[in-house]
Amino acid sequence: MPRKTKPQEEKIENLPSELESTMNESTMSPKLKLQHSLGNLHTNLENIKNREGIIGYIFRTPKSVSIDLKDPTKIIDYAVLSSTVLEAGENLSNTFELGRIHKVTLEGKDIKMLTVKMDDNHLTIFMDKTLDPDRIHKDLNIT
Amino acid sequence: MVKSELYTEALRNTLTEIRNACPDINNSFIFTKDGTIVAGDTETADITIKKALNSFQKVAEKAGTIGGLHNFYVNGDKGKVHISHINDMYLVTAISKDADANYLRSVTQVIVPTILKLLESIIPAPLKSGQPQQLTVNTFSEFFASNTVQVDHELLAQWSESFGRKDINEVEVETLGGETTRCRVKEIDDPNLQRKGIIRIPERVCKALEVNKGEPVKIKPIEP
Repeated sequence: MPRKTKPQEEKIENLPSELESTMNESTMSPKLKLQHSLGNLHTNLENIKNREGIIGYIFRTPKSVSIDLKDPTKIIDYAVLSSTVLEAGENLSNTFELGRIHKVTLEGKDIKMLTVKMDDNHLTIFMDKTLDPDRIHKDLNIT
Repeated sequence: MVKSELYTEALRNTLTEIRNACPDINNSFIFTKDGTIVAGDTETADITIKKALNSFQKVAEKAGTIGGLHNFYVNGDKGKVHISHINDMYLVTAISKDADANYLRSVTQVIVPTILKLLESIIPAPLKSGQPQQLTVNTFSEFFASNTVQVDHELLAQWSESFGRKDINEVEVETLGGETTRCRVKEIDDPNLQRKGIIRIPERVCKALEVNKGEPVKIKPIEP
């Protein structure tokens, strides 16, 4: 029985990193582009999370959730707020015909939160009110 | 024209004129933090406002974790929605994707507070009297058929105050679909359900109104 050919994305995914970085993004498939973006995102997120004023983040993919919060007692509250905000954002997008959501920002009296959506992946970053969520979004460098 | 109508009319005109001056604004309206719609521009449909209010309230209920809801921004491929806290109220603006959000925010956050301040000096406290409230439905079953709904003690006290300290015994409940019914009212007896922005409605009444648990309804007091 002939062996099934592996999808191209998987092959490319396993290339050495120096070779992968030379690839032209415009020639990538959407799935590969997303994987590439997520790879960058993880790197940028690691840098951002150590900044002063960053309280933590919740990163959801369809298969897993990564949570890194300075105060672990608030994990449930923050997780509920994060999903409520995203759901409300999607409802507002339907109501006002905003199209596909890519960024939702919520500002409270004490804390701000930034939620970004990339296909089925959602990242929420919680930060002190003195920080600028737009600046953080820019530094995430999500393409 | 009564004072509250004057207030609403002035704000509606303000929003409509801002929209005329800034074509990037597609919709704009104002509501109070308890969910009462104050005014909307002439182009925004009531159902749009009600849906937006419902989304807002879901976030507001959970926003205690971050010290309450001040501003809420949603950016999409085709446009943006900004909900901004202004003088105990919230201003909602839906703008096109290429709009200069910072410029529009500056315009609205200067003009609207100025108008509000002006109106408050001319027409004092028009929004505090027995205004309708939007609450989330929580159902309960009763052994004996009853049409008594339950709301927070604070809300009853606030209404009572605005009607010369008379007890409020009846309210009108209106669904998003426009179904209305008049019910007797008392305060919520379950301490776990108090101060959550809900109205407890008997299942039988919910069925008649075709409304389900978790959905928003508007409730206003009947003057005693």
